[in-house]
Amino acid sequence: MAITFEHVGYTYQAGTPMATPALSDVSFTVPDHGYLAIIGHTGSGKSTLIQQINALLKPTTGKISVDDFTITPQTTNADLKPLRRHVGMVFQFPESQLFEETIQRDIAFGPQNFGVSEDEANQRALNMLETVGLDESFADRSPFELSGGQMRRVAIAGVLAMQPKILVLDEPTAGLDPQGRLEMMTLFNRLHQEQGLTIILVTHQMEDVAAYADEVAVMQAGKLLTCATPQEVFNDSDWVQSSDIAVPRAAKFAQRLSDRGVKWDQLPLTADQLADQLVQRWPGMGAHHE
Amino acid sequence: MENIIEVQHLSYRYQDTDERPALDDISFTVKAGEWLALVGHNGSGKSTLARAVDGLLPFSEGTVTVGGIKLTPDTVWQVREKIGMIFQNPDNQFVGATVEDDVAFGLENRQISRAEMVPRVKAALDEVGMQAFAQREPGALSGGQKQRVALAGIVAIAPDILILDEATSMLDPQGRRDMLALVQHLREEKHLTVISITHDIDEAASADRILVIDDGKLVEEAKPAEIFAQGERLVHLGLDVPFTAKLKQALQDRGITVPAGYQTTTEMEEWLWQSLSNT
Ligand SMILES: Nc1ncnc2c1ncn2[C@@H]1O[C@H](COP(=O)(O)OP(=O)(O)OP(=O)(O)O)[C@@H](O)[C@H]1O
Ligand SMILES: Nc1ncnc2c1ncn2[C@@H]1O[C@H](COP(=O)(O)OP(=O)(O)OP(=O)(O)O)[C@@H](O)[C@H]1O
Ligand SMILES: [Mg+2]
Ligand SMILES: [Mg+2]
Repeated sequence: MAITFEHVGYTYQAGTPMATPALSDVSFTVPDHGYLAIIGHTGSGKSTLIQQINALLKPTTGKISVDDFTITPQTTNADLKPLRRHVGMVFQFPESQLFEETIQRDIAFGPQNFGVSEDEANQRALNMLETVGLDESFADRSPFELSGGQMRRVAIAGVLAMQPKILVLDEPTAGLDPQGRLEMMTLFNRLHQEQGLTIILVTHQMEDVAAYADEVAVMQAGKLLTCATPQEVFNDSDWVQSSDIAVPRAAKFAQRLSDRGVKWDQLPLTADQLADQLVQRWPGMGAHHE
Repeated sequence: MENIIEVQHLSYRYQDTDERPALDDISFTVKAGEWLALVGHNGSGKSTLARAVDGLLPFSEGTVTVGGIKLTPDTVWQVREKIGMIFQNPDNQFVGATVEDDVAFGLENRQISRAEMVPRVKAALDEVGMQAFAQREPGALSGGQKQRVALAGIVAIAPDILILDEATSMLDPQGRRDMLALVQHLREEKHLTVISITHDIDEAASADRILVIDDGKLVEEAKPAEIFAQGERLVHLGLDVPFTAKLKQALQDRGITVPAGYQTTTEMEEWLWQSLSNT
């Protein structure tokens, strides 16, 4: 499913003395089967932006299209149920989306809510538990008596069990151990590759941006600074500096070597890309010195 | 140097029926002024251990001693007064109606006078870059802003011991570095002891010593460089492989001979530069 934002603005508590503008004039398009990463400093509007996609927050101005659905300031909740079944959202804080008495029931809730039978939903829940790296013994436990990373896994399982067409992920790996982080990112990518899910990923991990995203949107103070490929965004080192955005470790490291005179064909964004180019330049090994 | 924290043979089960204890015979000490990182995979027991030290867990096996005071139901308030803890989910610790009230709360609890409180709250919010949000309701903040406010809460108190349970997990890389620098600065200036629970390799690297917890047991205790030299095994310990180790592996896979042991980025840059110039 494709997503288009047209001049979207959002103000919290609009029209009250407490009004806080959080998005202004945001426009971009994510094609069907696209993978968009959203980066930006604390408070720049990333979470506010992605909550517009399933209309958890409705735009104060402008318009959002998700396939055939249109969301405007006037859209009512009744119009939105069909949309919400296709948009799976993993929130920044996993606790905020857990509520059932047992983990199994929590994961089964989404599918059941959208018409899947109880038996099938329960079976899906068990399968999903395994997918996110938790064994069956967790099924009957309370989702609130878990470690932070375990809660995160349950929240992800609940969203995947709905079999959404769009996955909206708000820092989905915060709190996961590195192995879990890699497993979840690989899982999301597999769903993207094999089942064509459209993915929107808010992240502070520039390595993940470089490894997975087709395009990266950079937010700053409620505005969209740019939306382009990771290579285009990270390659422009003057722009990166002046807009104060982070770059992947490999790119930063490569930059330090280029400050000492090493020339790159294209700025390496991952350890593998960097190694490839280093081998090229290695005395007695690569092409450049022969 | 004296030990500010001593944990001896601490074990804990959330339910008597639990097969496996959440903490299993854990013993360690922390020196005053030390920065200790606590790492381990999800569910290994890190937060449980932090709660035990802060007197938030009714454990019956083992002892916890903080600043020479043995933790018991009678001393729990005395012990807690020495400790400022940031919980893994900042929403679980906000109590004030506004950001400002929230930061003031810890000071009120410690009987700080109002005259002293006001400037301390302001200074703490300034330190974390959240002064402009003083009147905001803590719930109505972004994820990273909440973590900054939680940090302001303990900066204001400057307790003897800071326990940070993944306190920077939702900050952007620069914000994370800034907050860690702030903690480091506070520690040097006021001789604080820091325990930081983290999955972030850079944060673990700023510690003096790293403890690794696995399934409720303490399985490793070493300096960061010793831990980082363990290559792929780090993943099993619940840590990431440092960037330099990843790059080294990638070079080795391509037939380049690399020096053994852990290299910092500066060391690795120097080695690569030398190697490339060696024509
Ligand atoms: N419920 C709310 N009421 C009022 N203002 C809010 C609310 N939630 C967020 N804001 C404000 O809107 C702005 C954007 O917040 P948002 O949560 O979208 O940021 P973010 O980019 O996701 O940041 P982070 O990386 O810290 O999660 C911030 O200044 C924040 O304080
Ligand atoms: N309130 C609770 N009731 C019962 N069991 C719990 C409770 N909190 C945690 N546990 C269990 O105790 C074990 C240790 O949890 P703890 O929160 O200490 O892990 P952690 O190392 O902090 O993990 P994470 O990295 O995911 O935050 C886990 O198996 C968890 O399921
Ligand atoms: Mg956010
Ligand atoms: Mg924890």
